[in-house]
Amino acid sequence: MKRGIYRLKGARDNNKEPGESLGEKLARLFEIPGEICGNRPKVTAIGRGEVLIENFKGIMDFQNDMLRINTYNGVIKVTGEGLNIREITNEEIIIGGKISNIDYDA
Amino acid sequence: MFLVHLWNYIRGYVIIIVTGRSIERFINICSRRQILLWDIVRDDADSASMKASIRGFRLMRPAAKKSGCRVHIKKRCGLPFFLYRFKRRKGFKLGLIIFSACLMLSVSIIWDIEIIGCKPEIIPQVMNVLILDNIGRGSFKLKLNPKNIATKIALNVDQAAWVGVEIKGVKLFITIKDSIEPPVLIKNNESFNIVAERDGLVKSMEVYAGRPLIKEGETVKKGQVLVSGKLESKNPEFGTRDVHALGKIIARTWYEESLPVSMIYTRRLKTGNIHKTVYLRFLDSRLKISGGNLPYEMFETDTVEKPITGPFGLKLPIGLTVENSSEIVEKKVDLTLDEAIDVSVETAKENLRKRIPADCMVVDEMVKQYEGENGTIYIQVIFECEEDIAGLEPVLE
Repeated sequence: MKRGIYRLKGARDNNKEPGESLGEKLARLFEIPGEICGNRPKVTAIGRGEVLIENFKGIMDFQNDMLRINTYNGVIKVTGEGLNIREITNEEIIIGGKISNIDYDA
Repeated sequence: MFLVHLWNYIRGYVIIIVTGRSIERFINICSRRQILLWDIVRDDADSASMKASIRGFRLMRPAAKKSGCRVHIKKRCGLPFFLYRFKRRKGFKLGLIIFSACLMLSVSIIWDIEIIGCKPEIIPQVMNVLILDNIGRGSFKLKLNPKNIATKIALNVDQAAWVGVEIKGVKLFITIKDSIEPPVLIKNNESFNIVAERDGLVKSMEVYAGRPLIKEGETVKKGQVLVSGKLESKNPEFGTRDVHALGKIIARTWYEESLPVSMIYTRRLKTGNIHKTVYLRFLDSRLKISGGNLPYEMFETDTVEKPITGPFGLKLPIGLTVENSSEIVEKKVDLTLDEAIDVSVETAKENLRKRIPADCMVVDEMVKQYEGENGTIYIQVIFECEEDIAGLEPVLE
């Protein structure tokens, strides 16, 4: 339980510092896609049944109807029906199922 | 996606059930340690099922310990587990090896030889060349060199202008293009006479070269010089010149055949009894299936091949051969004189037709009848023909 709180705090800390890092500034200057420099998450939704999130830190909560994923920019909450994790690696997670919401700051 | 599934199947994977309070933590640790997990489904509040590779499952133990979860296997999937089942079954392995060996063997030999594109007379010659080289059904494909075979056939079969040999699957295709025989060349520098090939009455002559010694309407004997190859000049100062005599000498010739007339005639009759023998044919050997020994003294055999065709019109090397043997009885029949003469004339004519040369044209047929010494009647059949009797003979100095 303690650990969970700590984590949530960490997430909020990230959220409170939206300032761009040097790499991100450079990336904006040279018009390089943001996910390459820095570790901001990239969320790709394909249709309604698949969401791909790159650059994530870890999953925080996993239920059949709700999935919370911790990223460097805050927590992303995916809600829907019959959610499952199609694949999970160090860098990316693919979520399947009937998705109804993708929320930030949740 | 199919490829990924296939790859997973080949590498082998396990479906595991993880139970515990902090399954999320377990998943996080696994992903951080490069353990690939897929198809994670939450079953209920404290259990989830997921798939992991075999390697991943082995590395999972510390992660489970750290997160306080229990992992157990629900199902093992994939090729390694499937093969593991056969590890101890020696008979199965042996059978597999024998089967694949048989398959390899049967695929690496020639099952059929097909000769295409030539006259049917050449086929036996080609087969002879192949037999001399020990090539036939059952030879190994690897030992055969199509180029060498083609060269050998082309060298040994005169009428083949071009030979192509190709191995397609288990079939050996030999393509042959016939050559046209070159015309006989006449050497102008040698001198030849035209002599009569047989006795006859000269009907017409066409002399292309040489000095004719006879005229139309003359009777000539066999071996007589008809056209001389020595051209003599009118002026004796120029002497003679040797040429190659050429020409057509059409003459009437006669062929005759005498036969005694016999009043007794043996006739071959079918009794109507048919004995059936069935063979199973495999390649060139055959095995008797039904029908015992033949009960007849004399018989005529009629053979029927029944090949078994496989799918796509494939000719299989297995087939049935049915031999129908019908019994024959020789019966002696007394004939009247007229019938007996007819029979003898027919036989005599047949004999004559076999004797006369191919380019001979029959103009007239005559039948004579005379009595021999001891009362037997003879018939004589005479064919009057027209043919070219010109034969070439070198001039002897």
